[in-house]
Formats: sequence, C-alpha cells, structure tokens
Amino acid sequence: MSEKPIKTIKLNVINEPKDSYTGGKSSLCPGCGHDQISSVIVNAAWENGLEPHRIAKMSGIGCSSKTPAYYLNQSHGFNTVHGRMPSVTTGANVVNKDLTYLGVSGDGDSASIGIGQLIHAIRRNVNMVYVLENNGVYGLTKGQYSATADIGSKKKKGMPNETQPIDLCALAVNLGCSFVARSFSGSKKQLTAIIKAAMSHKGFAFIDIISPCVTFNNNDESLRSYGYVKDNQTELHSVGYIPHSSPLEQVEIQAGSYRDITLHDGSTMRLETISEEHDVSDAVSALAALHQAEAEKKHVMGLLYFNGDKPSLDEDLELHQTAISEMGQDYLRPSKEALQQVIDSLRN
Amino acid sequence: MDKIVNDFTINIATANGTGSQSANLILLQTFFDMGIPISGKNLFPSNISGLPTWYIIRLSDAGYQAPGERTHIQVLLNPATWEEDLAVLEPGSSVIWNTDSKMEMNREDVISYPVPMTKIARGLNPKLARMIANVVYVGVIAELIGMDQTVLEEAISKQFNGKAKAIDLNSEAARLGRSYAAEHFEPSLYRSQARERLEGGFFIEGNEATALGSIFGGAQMLAWYPITPSSGIPEAMIEWLPKLRQKDGKATYAIIQAEDELAAAGMIIGAGWAGARGMTATSGPGISLMQEFIGLAYFAEIPAVFWDVNRVGPSTGLPTRTQQGDLSLLYEGSHGDTQHIVFIPGTVEECFEYGWKIFDAAERFQSPVFGFSDLDLGMNRWPCQGFEYPDQDMDRGKVILTKEQLDAIDNYGRYRDVDGDGIPYRTLPGSGLDPILYRGTGHDEDGTYSENPDVYHKLMARLKRKIEGAREYLPAPMIRQEEDCDIGIVFYGSIENTIAEIDDMLEVATGQMVSTCRVRALPLHPDVMDFVARHRTVIVLEANRDGQLFGIMRKEYPYKLIGHMHSAAFSDGMPPRAKSFVDKIMEVLKEVGQ
Repeated sequence: MSEKPIKTIKLNVINEPKDSYTGGKSSLCPGCGHDQISSVIVNAAWENGLEPHRIAKMSGIGCSSKTPAYYLNQSHGFNTVHGRMPSVTTGANVVNKDLTYLGVSGDGDSASIGIGQLIHAIRRNVNMVYVLENNGVYGLTKGQYSATADIGSKKKKGMPNETQPIDLCALAVNLGCSFVARSFSGSKKQLTAIIKAAMSHKGFAFIDIISPCVTFNNNDESLRSYGYVKDNQTELHSVGYIPHSSPLEQVEIQAGSYRDITLHDGSTMRLETISEEHDVSDAVSALAALHQAEAEKKHVMGLLYFNGDKPSLDEDLELHQTAISEMGQDYLRPSKEALQQVIDSLRN
Repeated sequence: MDKIVNDFTINIATANGTGSQSANLILLQTFFDMGIPISGKNLFPSNISGLPTWYIIRLSDAGYQAPGERTHIQVLLNPATWEEDLAVLEPGSSVIWNTDSKMEMNREDVISYPVPMTKIARGLNPKLARMIANVVYVGVIAELIGMDQTVLEEAISKQFNGKAKAIDLNSEAARLGRSYAAEHFEPSLYRSQARERLEGGFFIEGNEATALGSIFGGAQMLAWYPITPSSGIPEAMIEWLPKLRQKDGKATYAIIQAEDELAAAGMIIGAGWAGARGMTATSGPGISLMQEFIGLAYFAEIPAVFWDVNRVGPSTGLPTRTQQGDLSLLYEGSHGDTQHIVFIPGTVEECFEYGWKIFDAAERFQSPVFGFSDLDLGMNRWPCQGFEYPDQDMDRGKVILTKEQLDAIDNYGRYRDVDGDGIPYRTLPGSGLDPILYRGTGHDEDGTYSENPDVYHKLMARLKRKIEGAREYLPAPMIRQEEDCDIGIVFYGSIENTIAEIDDMLEVATGQMVSTCRVRALPLHPDVMDFVARHRTVIVLEANRDGQLFGIMRKEYPYKLIGHMHSAAFSDGMPPRAKSFVDKIMEVLKEVGQ
C-alpha cells in the first residue's frame, strides 16, 4: 500500500478547520450575490475563531433567508416567517445572551413586511449582526420590485421603477443604530472586514449589502447590477480588521491617515482614509454621504456610523450572568414560603 | 313587607374616571369581611374619562356569583344614563340619587333616597368633592342596609393602603353619608347581615392569579403588547417578578413590551426555540394577529404559552365586555391543519394552577399552548382562600442536554418519533448537539427541507397523534353525576360562576337535578365523551353566538352521540346571567320533549 500524502489542514485560533464552518449546497441561481456573502460569512466566522456551535443563524423568508442552510452546519438556526426574524432573534437573544446571533434578511423581508420589526430591533439595540442581502427585487416570486429599488432603475422585465426607495442605512442611522455599514457582495475584502467587525461588536450591527440578482435584475439598465455597482461605488475608506488575537503592535502601519475603532471584544477596525474624512461618529456626516450618493446615482460603501457606547438590550434588562435558558427549577420556581408570603400580603 | 337579607343586587351608575372604583371596592371588601357571599362586576367603557360605568354588587347567601336579573338598589350619579337607569327598574326598587346632579326623580313607584352627595363632599374638601361624593353614597348604603361601621372603616383603610390622610378623609365622608341617611330616611327593607367569615380569604382578579401562577411556573420570558382585558397579567408579573425571581440581585427572567402582538409571539417563540419558557398575554385581536406565528410554532414544534383573556369580538368588538368567542380560534389557530392544547380555568384558583401547569404542557408537547380566560374572570375581583403550591417539579420535556443522552438514542433526528407517542426529542441552540435549521417549510425527520408527499403526510399524522396524546394528560372535567338522570349540562370557563344558580333554577323548572360537566381543557378528555354517552340530552352552555365547544364536540364525537348534543349559546357581552341560559335550556328540553 502506498502512503497517501499528508494534507496540511489550516486551523484557526481555536484549532478548527474551515470545514467546521461550511454548510450545505446552495440552491440559489449560479452567480447569485447571496452565495458570495455566504462564503464571506464562512470565512469571517472561521477567521474570527468563533465557536461554530455558539452561533445562532436566524432568517426570515425569501432567497436570502434560505442561505443559513448554506453555511455554519454546526450552528442551530431558525428560518422563521416573512419579515419577523428580528422578533424571534430578540426572544432568543434575551434568554441566551451568550450566543452570537447572525441574522440574514433580504430587501423584501426587511424593507416591506418586516420594516417594523427591523426598526424595533434597532431601537432596542439587540446584540446581533443583521446582514441585509439587498438586490431591489423579489426573487422567489420571480422578479417584482422591492421597496429598495432605486428610482429610474429598470429590471430585466417591465417598466422602470418610479417609486421612492427606502434607504435602510439612512433609516438605521436615524434610529441611532450602533453600527451601520454598506457594502457589496462583489467586494470580498471590504465585506469580510465589515462582517468580522460586526461579529466583534456588541449591539445591533446593520450591514446593507448590495447583492445583485443575476436572474431578474442584472441588466445594464438596473442600478443594482454587478456592472453598475462596480462602476458607481464611492468608498468612504478602505476597511481593515485586526483581531484581538493579533495585538496592534504586530500590525504594520501603512502610510496615509487612518482611524482605529476598538470593538467590544478588543478587536480593531481600521478605516484608512481615501478621500476627505468621513466621521463615523457623526450621524449627520453619515446621512450627508448617503444623500450625496443618491443624488449622484452612486452607492456609498463602508462604515457609515458607529457608536460603541450604547448599551445592548440584554444589558438594559439587567439579566443574571447565567443565561436564562440555562437556569433550572432552583432559579425559576420560588419557594413554598415565598408563595405563603404572597398570600399573606394579599390578605392584608 | 318582610325584610330581605343578603339576597339583593346593588347597581351603581357613575361616569368613568370619577374615582367611583375605590368606593365600589370598599363596599365589596366590607361585605366580604362581614362574611357575606358576594360578587362584584365592573361594567366599564373603553374610555379613560367621561363615559358611563356601572358596578354591580350582588349579595347572595346562596352563593350566586352572576349578576342578578334585576337591580334592587340603584345608585344614580351619572346624568348621562339617569333616565335609562331609572326606566328599567322594577316598581318598589330603591333609588339612592345625587340631588346635586341637577336631574329629576320622575318615578313615583320607587323608594326614593335623595342625597346631596356633592354638597356633603364639598363641605369636607372642595377640591376633591367629585371623588369624595362616591364615598358619601357608600355611607348612605351602609346606613340603609345596616353595614358594620368598624368593618367599613377597615375596608377604607385597606383600600388606601395605610395612607393616613386619604383614610381620614374617606372615613369622614362615609360617616357624613351615614349620618345624613340616619337623619332623613327609614332603614331599608334590604338588609346586610354578617355571616361567619372563613379566615384567610382575600379578593383577587383572575389576571393576577394567572400572573402569579406563571411566575411559580418558571416563566423566563414575557413579551406582551397592551390590550384590554389581558394587560393585568403582564402588569402583575412586572410587579411580582422582581420580588420573587431575583438571584444575586439580577433578573432570572426577561420582560419586553413588544411593538405589536406579532412581535410578542415571535419573541416567545424565539425564547422557546432557545430552550426557555416564554409567554404572552393578549385578547382576541392579538390572537388574530399571531396566527402565522402560531402555525410556525405548531409545525416547527416550539413550546410557547399564550394567554387569551377573551373580550367581545368580532373585530374590535366590545373591548370592555366579556365573551367566550375565541375558543375555536385557539383550538385550530393558523392556516392549514392544526390542533392546539387549551387550558380553560373557571376559577381564580385554577388561573394560578394552570398558570404554572401550562408551561409543563408546552414543553412536554413542544407546541404552542393556550390559556383561555375572559374579561369576567380576568378583570373582576373574586373571593379566594389561597393557592396550592405546585405539587410536581417542572417538566422540561424531551430535551437532550448531553452527548451521552444523544448517543443513547438510536438514529436520532429532531423530528423522529422514537417513543411512539408522537413527541420527538430536541437539542438546544448553543449545545453543539446535532444542530438543525428549524423551519416552517416541509421537513423530514432530520429537519431537512422536503416536499416529499409521503414525508409530509407522515409528519402531519404524527403531529395529530402527538396532540391527541394530550387528552388524558390535561385536566379532567369536573363532573357531578346525578343518579337516574338523563339530562347533562356541559359548560366551561367562567360560566362556573353562574352554574349554581342555573342549576337551582333548572331544578325548580324541571323538578329534577341535572348532571353537570365542566370542561377544563382541549382536546377534550375522554371523560367528556363518556358523560355525553351517559345522558340522552346533553346541553352545551357557552357565552358565544355559535356554540363553539358544541361545534368541536359534534366534529369529534361518533355519529351515535350527535343526537345527544344540543347547544345553548348566548352572548350579549354581559357576564353570563343564569336566566339567559335557563331560557335556552328550557327551549331545548321542550324541543326534545323532556
């Protein structure tokens, strides 16, 4: 018998191979932006060294919401109902605050039926990553415009869209969301850094990712086609992620000006200025960037807004340090004496 | 005329927001502390201030808890309903009326007690005159029907929770009302007489009892959206949880006031998915909104507890009136074929008991489970002797917590029935044990997406078997079997509080005692079917229009029993009154020739 050559398997900081983070085979259309995002999620979770079984994959309904089946097979997940992933995640999050919640949604799911739940999850600052796979159309129902379709944009079939779109990043900034970014499924490097940073952030991290629909909305007249987005994106900065496991001193500082943002787990997000400086702690600056891009029919990319000081929902609730879902009867059922005291107080 | 002792009804007509509720509760507490069997019904409007409200107090040595058929003593303070309230009184009724209301007494066939309530109150405290006028009528009633002054003042002290200023002011107002009545009127024919009082009793609303039961049931997550008449459950939990469920000064529970009922349902399903006991409390409109999520929890097999405190539907309906109109909505909630477990308390003691038991059922059967209460039971104060501490440990159901437990199961799959009871085992998020992507789409025994006809058909059959298996697990009906009796009455929920009077009226009307069966859960316990089989004529009483439980029985019971069953459903939004049901029952008996 001949010996097989030894294959070296690359392990992350918790000694897991990348295989521990992959999922099932995708049933989306070949070339779909969502599949690129799924592969970025796999990479980000692996490289960040998250324990796969301590991640919870959450989604609503639609093409994007099917993707949790395509990554992180070792994580429990919940493909819920249309537009209601935020509430289910909120309930799970407060009873088990120790998991990393990774929600995936689409523009149909989030900008229409689910916009109320998205708003309230942001308002509560639920500790989760909210990945919005935004292509401007409903895919599973065969290509109707969604509420994020840009004015003047035309999908493969039918008339151009004339209805004002909802910019969910602007909405998130206005709601005081603690982490707001926009990226592109075709910008793997930038997207990976943003998703990694979002995973290190405690609070609601909203990432609006333009993810072209190759079947219904990838024609030249579409403002969300691969070609258009590639040629019409304005980068606020280049984004780097330095994990807490690699201290900053070891990282080579490149020329040019940059800004470091320390995230909750000790990792750093490095924003290297490309043009004039964008102040991520200033909501007005974020909104100005969004409005300017809209006026120029461009897509602005990068970290739009960040606030690391806002307490997350589980902190607001002053929960016991033991996750509620781990508690047994000794924590959960008051004593017989306690019942007697209740009854005595009712008697008086 | 003879005196009438402890068998009459007082109706107090005021306007919402005038502070009359305190005065009425003082009356109720005083009667209770005198040991008189008493019931109080608050008929209030969907409004904060100004619309008419009535409080009905019935004294009944027979123990009848329903509002009576007629008013014996009417108190009039509200000009808006004055004429209407007067018009419906039977001749000979007593009317205590506020002469400062600038209204007239146009009935000469009633016993009139004019009292300048506002003027008396103004003499005490001009600023608070409108509120204190209410306590003046308490004093007038006390004098007319002979209530004990010491007990009355104790009740005032309880109502104002030891606040000396309020107690002094209100006690003085009651005394002034009392002396005005003593000076101007003869004592009434209607008399209150102290009875032996059971020690240790207290008043409690069904909603508060449900809240306490839930806390002792280990509720870990409460998500709710305010809606009458259910808000009392979360509000009582918000009050009691910090006192009963802190550990190291921190919460062992999470409470979220959701943005709507859909989100509340989503949150408790998220909590159930993560392995915790989640609950919400709502009413019919909320249950309507939650339908989609209820189906998800049923199909994905997630435990979650929903309390429905029923108000009058359809639509916004009569938001502050009572009904049993949501039963079939709960039993078969959401689209597609579903079937849900429903606990149906009839007393405040059962509100507490089912408050904790319902979590065990939800986790045992891995399904949404409903508590079915109503405005009458939930929002009125009922006499109570106490609550029994749970006699069983918390049952967390078939949850796999360790690798060893998982390995012990041959061919584990999240939706594989390995015990033959239709209930599969589950692992929890974060455990790393055989994770799956839960979904509301079709799935096979391993939880993988499937549209296979055979897989779907088998899954639906197993879900049916699972919930069918709850019939004997759930609270058995309360049955009173009369010998050689072929008439049986089936009822449920808060009709418990009217049944004694219905029973007595029927005995008078038919000359015989009838058997009774109070249903306490769905799906129906086998004892209910046996009860139907034992009686030739079974009449199902319920406070709705269509006879919803009757419909469920007719659908589920064998053909040979269908002829036994008749519906006596009646709903006008009022707490169930005996006569409305007795009339219906007599119609049925006439029809079947019994």
